Amino acid sequence: MRPPVAERETVAPEALRLPPRRDLAPYWLLLPTALYLGVFFVYPMSQAVWLAVSDPRSGQLTLEHFQRMSDDVHFRDAIRNTLLITAIAVPVQIALGLAIALMVNTCFRGHTMFLYLCAIPIGISDLAAGLIWLSIFIERGYLNAALGALGAIQQPVTWLSFERRDWLVSAIVVTEIWRATAIVMIILVAGMQLIARDYVETAQVFGASRWRTLLEVFLPLLRPSLQTALIIRTILAFQCFATVIIMSGRLVPVMAGESYFWYSLYRNANVASAYAVLILLFSGSITYFYLRALRQRELDVPR
Amino acid sequence: MNKATRAMSFLLAAILIAVTVPPSSSAPAQEILFTSNQLAPVEEQEWTRNTLLARFTQETGIRVRFVTDNEGPYVDRLIAESRANRGNIDVTGTLHSIFPVLHAERVTTDMAPVLRQLVERRDRNFIPDLVEAGKIDGTQVFVPWMQATYLMVASRAALRYFPSGRDPMRMTYEDLLQWGENIRQATGQRRVGFGAGPRGLFGRFLHGYIYPSFTGSQVKRFKSPEAVEMWRFMRRLGGIIHPSTFTYEFMHEPLLLGEVWVAWDHVARITPALRQRPNDFVVLPSPAGPRGRSFLSVIAGLAIPRTAPNPELGARLIEYLTRPATQVMTLEGVTFFPVAREASRAVPSSGLMVIANGVAAQANAADAKTALLPVGLGARTGELVPIYVDTFRLIAIEGRDIEQTLGQQARRLEDLYRAMNAPCPPPDPGVRPCRPD
Repeated sequence: MRPPVAERETVAPEALRLPPRRDLAPYWLLLPTALYLGVFFVYPMSQAVWLAVSDPRSGQLTLEHFQRMSDDVHFRDAIRNTLLITAIAVPVQIALGLAIALMVNTCFRGHTMFLYLCAIPIGISDLAAGLIWLSIFIERGYLNAALGALGAIQQPVTWLSFERRDWLVSAIVVTEIWRATAIVMIILVAGMQLIARDYVETAQVFGASRWRTLLEVFLPLLRPSLQTALIIRTILAFQCFATVIIMSGRLVPVMAGESYFWYSLYRNANVASAYAVLILLFSGSITYFYLRALRQRELDVPR
Repeated sequence: MNKATRAMSFLLAAILIAVTVPPSSSAPAQEILFTSNQLAPVEEQEWTRNTLLARFTQETGIRVRFVTDNEGPYVDRLIAESRANRGNIDVTGTLHSIFPVLHAERVTTDMAPVLRQLVERRDRNFIPDLVEAGKIDGTQVFVPWMQATYLMVASRAALRYFPSGRDPMRMTYEDLLQWGENIRQATGQRRVGFGAGPRGLFGRFLHGYIYPSFTGSQVKRFKSPEAVEMWRFMRRLGGIIHPSTFTYEFMHEPLLLGEVWVAWDHVARITPALRQRPNDFVVLPSPAGPRGRSFLSVIAGLAIPRTAPNPELGARLIEYLTRPATQVMTLEGVTFFPVAREASRAVPSSGLMVIANGVAAQANAADAKTALLPVGLGARTGELVPIYVDTFRLIAIEGRDIEQTLGQQARRLEDLYRAMNAPCPPPDPGVRPCRPD
């Protein structure tokens, strides 16, 4: 029963909430999404987990596939390379994305054009991006042609060489940065639009330098966007695959690549799923870490 | 129920009906589905649809839907249809090394009746070895379709660096090394290349060419003293191989770019270079080692799946594809060689002459030894070749100890053969399970 009107002024704010509605409409509206997620995400994911831990013949639980995965000659390299590429590429992408977003935010002449130009790589698939950069780095590629025309080199340099694993990783990192900085930038530009000009103007009134405004106004208010960008980029970096395969074959093994090879080359869906589960564990832990580390301070206040 | 809820329920019901009611009818009877993991490059697909199969449709009025895919999805679809006991695929064509997988999954049927009808037409004599290769446990699982091999191709300009006094048509592995070394000294660049990328066929070079040429065996003598000798040679060869070789998949690309002057690959993957610039390249037989000139003979076969909806129409397609005139057309279109004697005698047009001569020089060399793709590993067939490629990577690129690495990799081979109880591939006697000694 609703409290009489006279009493309303005195009751605690909680009591002001409307009584729970019996309307099922929200659930009906959620149903298509839930069905979609269930059929295309939850079901395949649980199937992958099941493939990773079950014996294909007896159907019993087993760790055999994880055993085979970790015994493989590529296993350690795959984890190391994935972490290495992620650790280098993601911070650079965030820094670059932030720099571009800040530049766009100054609304200089032609900033929309600049924004569109920077956003082009979003529309290019990772496979195509890999091919573009492959045609730059190969011996008869654009880089050597440019350096040769400038007279910087006499003989073409073999940038992608099995003797220089560090160059290979660098080439992959450059490709990844080119390909995925744009998405970070878009997220951050959108985040900046939400920051009220008042804060920036107030900082200016108090004589804060641009640098201080960035550190103490923009960055804290951008935290939710940064969090989103970090989570998306890191998870996708754990899955990076096409660019790596194109630039380095299997010389720089990565986790998603190994999953692909176990499935398509070895025709073993179980070990491929074990890799997929491993990637899921990595992605899950890093997301949890980001959510905790970048939590909004207001929520930290004990109640 | 309010309006929104009612609308949603209606929508939901509509979705459910759409999902559960199967699409009305299957394809019309005069259309058949032909799947393959061969003829997969776009140009080959186009040729297959617009030339090869278009003529069949013209002749018979039967339309053919041609679907090609990578090995994984290709095999998966056949297996899925077999397990469901209901299928759409009428004819399928693939490598002889994949048929054991299909046979184990009960995808295939006995093709002996179809083969018998073809032989009774008396217009085509299948090469007996190829027919024999199509038998698994006494069942004829495929009708021979096309064959191919792998060989060396070199730019004409590179021939002047070939070791003096030696004959390129009778090349040895030492000659190849010296050749690469001469090029390197003269130009400062490494110009010998292999398709060692993920979809490259370098693994075939290791297990089917250099291993038997040095040890006389593909699997059994994997870690023998001769194999250790061979890997010492591979390490030296590593010094003349183009450092980007691990990105190559189809060798005609680096050949045409001029990055590579001497290459080894599947005929289909070097033909585009010869078609574009027939006067710039020569085709040479694969090199010989201490135990002869081993080369792989690749056989592709045709089969009608057990669940095929139109097996009679499928048999007509097989008749057309194995007809000598079609076989010559296939050779000229996609450089797969004929499987019938009548077609082999036809002289290929000038562009293909270079390749045909190279193939003949390889097959007819005095020291030639034919190896076949290993079979019998069933569902785990795909694990074999990467063991060889990994060994190359560990020994020749990462410089690991040869004996130790061979011991470790031999254990993998042994586990694989023991798990599948598979026989040693030729030239070794087919002992089950094969065990590297």
